[in-house]
Amino acid sequence: MDSAIKGAKQVGNITQKLGPFVGLLALIVVVSIFNSSFLEPLNLLNLLRQVAINALIAYGMTFVILTGGIDLSVGSVLALSSALMAGMMVSGLDPILAIIIGCLLGAVMGAVNGLLITKGKMAPFIATLATMTMFRGLTLVYTDGNPITGLGDSYAFQLFGRGYFLGIPVPAITMFLAFAVLWVILHKTPFGRKTYAIGGNEKAALISGINVSRVKVMVYSLAGLLSALAGAILVSRLDSAQPTAGEAYELDAIAAVVLGGTSLSGGRGLIIGTLIGALIIGTLNNGLNLLGVSSFFQMVVKGVVIIIAVLIDRKKAA
Amino acid sequence: MRKLRLLLMMSLVLIFLSACSLQPPEWAKPSSGDGEGDVKVGLSVSTLNNPFFVSMKEGVEQEAEAQGMEVVVVDAQNDAAKQVNDVEDLIQQGVDVLLINPTDSAAISTAVQSANSLGIPVVTLDRSAEKGEVATLVSSDNEKGGEIAGEYIVEQVGEGAKVAELEGVPGASATRERGAGFHNIADEKLDVVAKQTANFDRTEGLTTMENMLQGNPEIEAVFAHNDEMALGAYQAIQSSGRDILVVGFDGNDDAMSSIRDGNLSATVAQQPIEIGKLAVQAGDDVLQGKEVEDTIPVPLKLVTEENVDE
Amino acid sequence: MQISMENIHKAFGTNQVLEGVDMEIKHGEVHALMGENGAGKSTLMKILTGLHQKDEGTVTIDGEEKTFANPKEAEQFGIAFIHQELNVWPDLTVLENLFINKEPVTKFGLIQTKKMKAIASEQFEKLAVSIPLHKEAGQCSVGEQQMIEIAKALMTDAKVIIMDEPSAALTDREIEKLFDVIRSLKASGVSIVYISHRMEEIFTICDRITVMRDGQTVDTTPIPETSFDDVVRKMVGRELTDRFPERTPDPGEAVLEVKGLGRKGVFQDVNFNARAGEIVGVAGLMGAGRTEIMRTLFGLDGKYDGEIFVNGQKVDVKNPSQAVKLGLGFITEDRKGEGLVLDFPIKDNIALPSLRSFTKNSLIQEKEEQEFVEMLIKRLTVKTESSSTEAKNLSGGNQQKVVIAKWIGIGPKVLILDEPTRGVDVGAKREIYQLMNELTDRGVAIIMVSSELPEVLGMSDRVLVVHEGTIAGELHRDEADQEKIMTLATGGQVNG
Repeated sequence: MDSAIKGAKQVGNITQKLGPFVGLLALIVVVSIFNSSFLEPLNLLNLLRQVAINALIAYGMTFVILTGGIDLSVGSVLALSSALMAGMMVSGLDPILAIIIGCLLGAVMGAVNGLLITKGKMAPFIATLATMTMFRGLTLVYTDGNPITGLGDSYAFQLFGRGYFLGIPVPAITMFLAFAVLWVILHKTPFGRKTYAIGGNEKAALISGINVSRVKVMVYSLAGLLSALAGAILVSRLDSAQPTAGEAYELDAIAAVVLGGTSLSGGRGLIIGTLIGALIIGTLNNGLNLLGVSSFFQMVVKGVVIIIAVLIDRKKAA
Repeated sequence: MRKLRLLLMMSLVLIFLSACSLQPPEWAKPSSGDGEGDVKVGLSVSTLNNPFFVSMKEGVEQEAEAQGMEVVVVDAQNDAAKQVNDVEDLIQQGVDVLLINPTDSAAISTAVQSANSLGIPVVTLDRSAEKGEVATLVSSDNEKGGEIAGEYIVEQVGEGAKVAELEGVPGASATRERGAGFHNIADEKLDVVAKQTANFDRTEGLTTMENMLQGNPEIEAVFAHNDEMALGAYQAIQSSGRDILVVGFDGNDDAMSSIRDGNLSATVAQQPIEIGKLAVQAGDDVLQGKEVEDTIPVPLKLVTEENVDE
Repeated sequence: MQISMENIHKAFGTNQVLEGVDMEIKHGEVHALMGENGAGKSTLMKILTGLHQKDEGTVTIDGEEKTFANPKEAEQFGIAFIHQELNVWPDLTVLENLFINKEPVTKFGLIQTKKMKAIASEQFEKLAVSIPLHKEAGQCSVGEQQMIEIAKALMTDAKVIIMDEPSAALTDREIEKLFDVIRSLKASGVSIVYISHRMEEIFTICDRITVMRDGQTVDTTPIPETSFDDVVRKMVGRELTDRFPERTPDPGEAVLEVKGLGRKGVFQDVNFNARAGEIVGVAGLMGAGRTEIMRTLFGLDGKYDGEIFVNGQKVDVKNPSQAVKLGLGFITEDRKGEGLVLDFPIKDNIALPSLRSFTKNSLIQEKEEQEFVEMLIKRLTVKTESSSTEAKNLSGGNQQKVVIAKWIGIGPKVLILDEPTRGVDVGAKREIYQLMNELTDRGVAIIMVSSELPEVLGMSDRVLVVHEGTIAGELHRDEADQEKIMTLATGGQVNG
C-alpha cells in the first residue's frame, strides 16, 4: 500500500520532469507531419541557432525566477551591452575583447537591478521595469537611434554568431556550453543551493545565515551577463548593433522558463526545463513559419501553448 | 620537449580552426534543384503594422497570383533579429526567390549572404542591403518624385516664384534624393528663399514653417519632403492667415483627406502596390536568367484635389 | 441574552484543544475568562462565534440550542468578537474601516457617507475617542486601532461582546475609558466576556471568573469570593511530572552576554548572560517582547541599542549571516514559516547553514554532505524513510528535529530556542528535551523562550521573566515556581 503510493509519487515526479520534454517531442512530431522539411538537417541547425539567444537569456531568468524574482530588463540589457560592444569594435578594439568587456558591463547592469531590489527594497517587477526603460533610453542616447555598423571583418567575431564548428552553429555550441556550466553552478555549488533556498523560503534562508542580499545581487548580475552574451551573438548575427534589439525578449525568456516547469513563485524548477522550454518556443516560431501561418496568428498560437502548458502543470501540482 | 609541446599546440589550433566555418556543413545543405512545380516566392516584410507595407505585400500577392506563383509571407514585426530567422525559415521552405523588405539595411546583410551561399536570388524592396549580393532593389523613384513636385509648383505659381523647402532627416536617402529631384527643377525655374530641416516630423514642420514665414513673408509655395512635415507646415500657414501652396510626399491617409478638404494642395504619392508587383516581376526575370537593372525605380503619382478619389 | 456552553470538545488534527469545557454567561454580566497560553480560551470563543465548529457538546442561547456556521451569523444574532489580532485595513480611513462590508447605501447603491459619519461620531463620543474619521487606519497607533475595533463591535448592537485581550495595546487612560464603556454597556443589559492576563483589570471590572487549564474548565467563581493567588493557583495548578529528563547542569564561562539591549518602542535595557552548558529559560506573557529580544540578538531586525558580547568579545550583529558565523543558532517559533524550506528535502534543509564546511573548489561534496546529514538524522532519530523526503511531509515533531539538526550541524556556541515544543506531541517533546541536555553537556549554551510554564520550570537552570519589554526578574532553578513566574509576568513583585 505504502510502496504503491510511493511508486505513484515517483511516476508523478518523473512525468513532472519529463513533461516539457514530452511536449517538445509532440510539437516536433506535429510540425514534421505537416511539413517534412522541418526535419531537414539545415533547418534543425538553424533552429538551434535561432533558439540560442532566447535560451541564454532564459537561463539567467531561471536563476532570477528561482529566487522568486523577475527580470524585465533583460532585453534592454541586451540592447545596451550590444551597442557598447559594437561601439568598442568600431573604435578599433579587438572584437573578442569587446565582447568580454560588454558581457562584464551586462553583469554590472544586472548588479544595478540586484542592488535596487536588495538595498533599495524594491519589488523586482518594479525595479526591473524601471531599468528596462532606463537601459533602453541609454541605448538610444548612445546610438542616437541609429544602428551601429562597420564592425570590421574579424573572422572570430563572424564565427561567434554566424559560424559553424564541426558543422554545429557556434551560437548553439555557446548555448550548450553555457548550459553545462550553469547546470553545475545550480546543482553542485552552494550558490545554486542558496538560490533555491531563497525562492523556497526567503525567511528560512535568511535565518540559516545565508547572505540573501549578496546571493540576489549575484543572481541578477548573472542574468545581466547572459543577456549581454546573447547580445554579442546578435551583434555578430546582424553584423550591427540595433538600438531596438531585444524588445519584448523578456517575455519569450519568461515563457521559456515557465514552459520548462519552473514555478514563478520560486524555489522549484530545473534549468534543463528552461532549455527545453526555449526549444519549444523556437520550434513554434520556426514551425509556424514553415507551415506558413500568418504572423498575427502565430502570436495567438504561442499564447495558447503557454496557457495549456501552465494548466497541465497546475493539474499535476494539485 | 618544449618544441614538441609547441608543435602539439599549434596542430591543435589548426585542427580547431579547420573545424570552424562560416558555411553550413555540406551534409546539412538542402538537396536543391527539384526544379519541378510552381515557382515559390518568399517575402519577408519588415512589418505589417503599417498600411504602406501591407499594400506592398498585397502587390506581391496580386502579381504572383497573376503569374501563377506561390507566395510565402513572413512578418519581422520590425525586429531585425526576427527577420534574419524569418529569412532562414523561408530558405528552408525551398523558396526559389527571396523578396526582402529589410527592417535595417545593415542587419539584413547576413541573411542575404546566407541566401547567396545557397544560390537563392534576392530582390530587396524599399530598402537595400549593405552587404551581400542583391539582384535588384525595387523602390520609389524619389528623385523623379522631387521633379514632379517642382514642376507642379511651377505650373501653379509660375516661374520665378519664391518658395520654401522643408527637408527630411539630414543624410537620409529619401532626403537626398527627393531634394535633388526638386532642385533639378527649382534651381532653374523657382527661387528657393528658405531651406531647413524638420526631420520628417509634423510638429517640427509646424514650428519651422512659422519661423520661415516670419523671415520670408513673400513665400508662395512650400515643398515638404514628406506628408507629415507638409501637414505641420499647413497648420502654420493657416494660423498665419496666408494662402500658400503646400506640396507633400508619400501619399499617406492624413495627407489624402487633407487634399480632399482642399487644404494640402498636392502630394507625390508612392505606390507600394506597384513596388510589390515590380519586385515579383524582377524576381521572375532573374529566375529566367534575364538581365535586370541594379535598381528598379517605381513611378510616383502626383495626387491633387482632382484625382484624390481615384 | 443568556449563553450556556456544555461539555465542548474540539481537536485540530490529533491535537486535542478542548476536552469538555463548561461555561455560562449571564445577562448583563462581565465575565472574565483566564488561563495560560494555549489553555483553549480563544478556541472556545471562536467556537461560540462560528469561526470554528465544535466536535462535541452543546451551546444553548436563551434556552435554545444554537450553532453558528460563520462569524457573520453570530454577529447578526448579537454576538460580537473583538479579536486579539487587529483586523484593520491600513490603507482605508477610520470611517471606511468602521463600516467595512456594512456600508449603508442609497437605493441607487451609493454609499451614504453622511450617515456613516453621523453614526461613527456618535459612537466615538460615547467612547470619548477623538480619532479623525478621515485618518488612514494604518497611521493610527495600535491603541487607536484597538478603539476602532471596539467601536466597530459596539455599532452592531451586540447583546454579547467578547473582548480578547482588549487592553494589551491601550494606555492607562484609554483603559479607563474602555472600562467606562463596559460599565455602561453592562447597565444596558449587554454581557461581556473579558479575556485577559492582567489580574488587576479582572478584579476591577469583572463580576465572575472562569479559569481554564489544558482544555478544561477548572471552575467559575464570583470575583469577590476569590483572590490573585487563588486564580494563579487554579491556572497553573498541576504537579510537575517526570515529563522532563533529569538535568545535571555544570555551567562554565558566560558565552553570551547582553548589556542594555533595546529597540525603540519594543523592549529596553535588557541585561542577561548565558553560560556554556546552561539552559536559560525566558518566560513571559504573549507580546511581552521575548521573541523580539531574541530576533534582535540574532541580527534579524537590524540596528539595536546596547552591546552584545560573545566569549567576552564585543560583537556587532547586523544580520543573521554574522550571527551564524559567531556560532549562534536560532530555532524560531514559526517552524514552517522561518525554520524550514518546506519544498526542500530533509538533506538540503539540514545542510543549509553549514554548506561551507563541505564545499571544496566551490563544489558541494555530495558524499560528505550525505554522510553528515545521515549522521544527524540518526542522532536525532528523525523518523523518515530517506534524507530526500521533502520537509513538508514530516510530522511537527520530526520537522522540529530537522530544524534542530541543522543548527547542531554548525556546531553552535549558543542556541536560541523559541517555543521549541509547540505543536509537538508528548513523545517527541521528551526527545527534544533530552537533546537539549545532550547539547548542554557538550558545552552549548541554550536560551529557551517558552510559554509553557512547566517546560520552563522543568528544563531551565535559570529563568528570566519578561514583562512589557524589560526583564522583570530572574529566578534560579531552586526558587522558581509557577506562581512567582506568573506574578512577575503580570507586573507583580516577588519578595526575596
